[in-house]
Amino acid sequence: MKKTILLGFIGLFCFAACDKIEPDQYTVATSGGSGNGGRWSNGGTQCALVEKYTGPRCVNCPNADVTLDSLHVQYGEQLVVISINHPTGQGEPFPNQPDMRTEAGTAWDQYFGIGAIPAAYLNRNKAKQYSGSMDNLGSDIGALINQDPSIELTINADGDTATRQIDITVSYHIYDRLEGDITLTLALTEDSLSYRQLHPSRGIVNDYIHNHMLRDVITDTWGDDIPTDGVAGESKVKNFTYTVTNPDIKLQNCHVVGFISYKNDRSVLNCNQAPVVINQ
Amino acid sequence: MKKILRALVLLSFFTLHLSPLMAQGILGGHVTGNIQLESQMSRADSTIGAPDVPQGILMNARADVLYTNGDFSAGLRFEAYQDPLLGFDPQWKGQGLAHYFVAYNGERLSLTAGHFYEQFGSGLILRTYEDRYLGIDNALLGFSAKYRPIDGITLKAVAGKQRYFWSLGEGLVRGVDGEMALNSLLPFMAESKLRVNLGAGFVSKYEEDETIAAEAAGHILNLPLNVGAGAFRADVGFGGWNLQAEYARKGQDPSALNGYIYRPGEALNLNLSYSQRGFSAALQAKRIDNMGFKSVRSQTGEMLYINYLPATPRQHTYAFPSMYPYATQVNGEQGLQADVMYKIKKETWLGGKYGTDLHLNSSVMTTLDTTVIGGRGTEGYTVGNGTGDLLYGDLSFEVARKLSKSIKVSATYLYQVFNPIVENEHGSLHHNNAVVADVSWKVSKKHALRFEAEWLGSDSRYDPEAGETDRRAGDWVMGLVEWSIGSHWFLSASDQYAYNDGTGNYYNLSVGYTRGATRLQLGYGKQREGMLCIGGVCRQVPASNGLTISLTTSF
Repeated sequence: MKKTILLGFIGLFCFAACDKIEPDQYTVATSGGSGNGGRWSNGGTQCALVEKYTGPRCVNCPNADVTLDSLHVQYGEQLVVISINHPTGQGEPFPNQPDMRTEAGTAWDQYFGIGAIPAAYLNRNKAKQYSGSMDNLGSDIGALINQDPSIELTINADGDTATRQIDITVSYHIYDRLEGDITLTLALTEDSLSYRQLHPSRGIVNDYIHNHMLRDVITDTWGDDIPTDGVAGESKVKNFTYTVTNPDIKLQNCHVVGFISYKNDRSVLNCNQAPVVINQ
Repeated sequence: MKKILRALVLLSFFTLHLSPLMAQGILGGHVTGNIQLESQMSRADSTIGAPDVPQGILMNARADVLYTNGDFSAGLRFEAYQDPLLGFDPQWKGQGLAHYFVAYNGERLSLTAGHFYEQFGSGLILRTYEDRYLGIDNALLGFSAKYRPIDGITLKAVAGKQRYFWSLGEGLVRGVDGEMALNSLLPFMAESKLRVNLGAGFVSKYEEDETIAAEAAGHILNLPLNVGAGAFRADVGFGGWNLQAEYARKGQDPSALNGYIYRPGEALNLNLSYSQRGFSAALQAKRIDNMGFKSVRSQTGEMLYINYLPATPRQHTYAFPSMYPYATQVNGEQGLQADVMYKIKKETWLGGKYGTDLHLNSSVMTTLDTTVIGGRGTEGYTVGNGTGDLLYGDLSFEVARKLSKSIKVSATYLYQVFNPIVENEHGSLHHNNAVVADVSWKVSKKHALRFEAEWLGSDSRYDPEAGETDRRAGDWVMGLVEWSIGSHWFLSASDQYAYNDGTGNYYNLSVGYTRGATRLQLGYGKQREGMLCIGGVCRQVPASNGLTISLTTSF
């Protein structure tokens, strides 16, 4: 009797402790990011800028992509990502493959002292570095975007494939008094880039899809100064015209990412991004 | 830094002179333990790629204490990583009580509460262990029970969470295992030459749901919260023959390790061996398909593994044959290893006065013949009947002979093919040839010398501009001299030199002193960057240039 009870218990444990999911249920549709539940403050919302340092020879970088894709599902448009190609070692391109390294990306990489990749920074806070499996990044983003924004940023980008020109309009509105000089940085990122990547479970993947890749910085590397009184209620509009000289960049796959930072410690106050809308 | 050095001297004095006093009874019980301290000082060296160590001195230290009183035992371990040695995960930084347990070990029943290590069979579905040199500790914190209802039957049950550096992994691990020794269980087999042990186990992990984006836009993964893995095993022996077989299967386990695919995992391990006086042979076959099993699905690296998948190829011990070690590919591999040892009889023309040992070993590992059918949120791939790509192959032959009462010599030749993808690197296959000569000479009762000469020829090249940044590349020579003086002192000098690509000259001097159960060793020199692998589990070892201090003692 004892043996029967024991075997029954073990059988029940084995049966109950293993979930089986049918192939048509491996994934479920999502309605998109819920962000902070639609929490708006003073007409604006706080977004999170994640600068992710990556490289084609970095075997764990695809896992960082999964983490950020998943956080995108969770936080929607309130998460803004820039993927920056590490300049050396695992960041070096494979032979006959596109080179995603940029001058500005290298300068930022050196500023943060990036040694191993993948690595990420949240809102350019040097105390918030994430590596490997990006532990705590999700919860830190969640905490950040629930804060009241001190400044709001809106971006519009219109592109012309014939002239390869992008007209950018940036407007910002200050909600809380600012504590120092600020700068505006605009970056061009590109999605759906297909090139070789070392992958943790699939070895070398020739057609790996890279998103949010930094292609160029439209302003100065460390941003353009914004003359401001820094008082609540102040609003301004700035216009930029940028010509994409690299023929490999597909304008229709690009975003213009903007962020406003304090000039002294480069910490980001708020950010936003806009897809390049192609005028037919 | 002066304070740390002073502490080292004090600790050395304490362990050398006072530790024997500590092994004494307390409350009628018995206290034993050990202390280990590894320290490193390194300075930047661009020629070998050694990084700067701004802390000046790095240290890994630990002290284990075990109290035993009859059937009762309790233990604890204090660990300090201030800061961790080069190559160890920075997440080890810190110090504190890392392990503690109490245990009852009765005749039929054993119970443990606290941290414990356990293994089911060969570990295909469960093996928690620690390796201080690899920086791995997968201990479970929870409860463990072992019950022997009758002779020949052992039942085990475990439940707990795994250690993750200085915290715990979120996943809950539960497991049961049973083993039958038929020769003890069945009276008619008690005296049989046929020895049969059978076993089976099941392990499950539970983890909360989380949001993981699928590759299909606008979709997230529907994750299994409970992932199970089961295994059957048999160990059959007859005379000099022995067959060990274990098959394991794992349920759907989308994780960062496998790229979040839903394909079930499988592993098969077969080991056939025969031995008699002066001769032994073994043939091992292994196939792994998506068997990485961790208690936290988002984790990569070597922590939080629930299971253990040993490497099939032989683990070489000499410096150059082990320069390109094989690391188990948990997502998929298959291969064979053959091993033959023969001792030519003494007092023969070939065997000489003392006999001659011959050792032939060969192994080959390939990927599975996979066809990718999708990424995250799919079955991932299908497997055909082909052999896939070559991951590793080697053939080694060793001859060892005692020439006289005081001199023993051995020579080893190794041919090796190494695919850099084993280390998650890209590149063409490396073809290596290595030769090792080893001479041990017992000069007198108090003095012994050992000489070692090695050569490695490789078609791998160091060319940073072409993305070839592996400093192990190229052709190497090495010499080593060890001098043992009595039972206390030990001196050693060695040099490894890359004579072709000029990636470095790595000299090392070390001196060791042993007294009783205490050993203190100082080393100075350059450490070549590379991989340290133990049982197919690897850790990257960065280059270093400076002083190392090692102190171990037990009481």
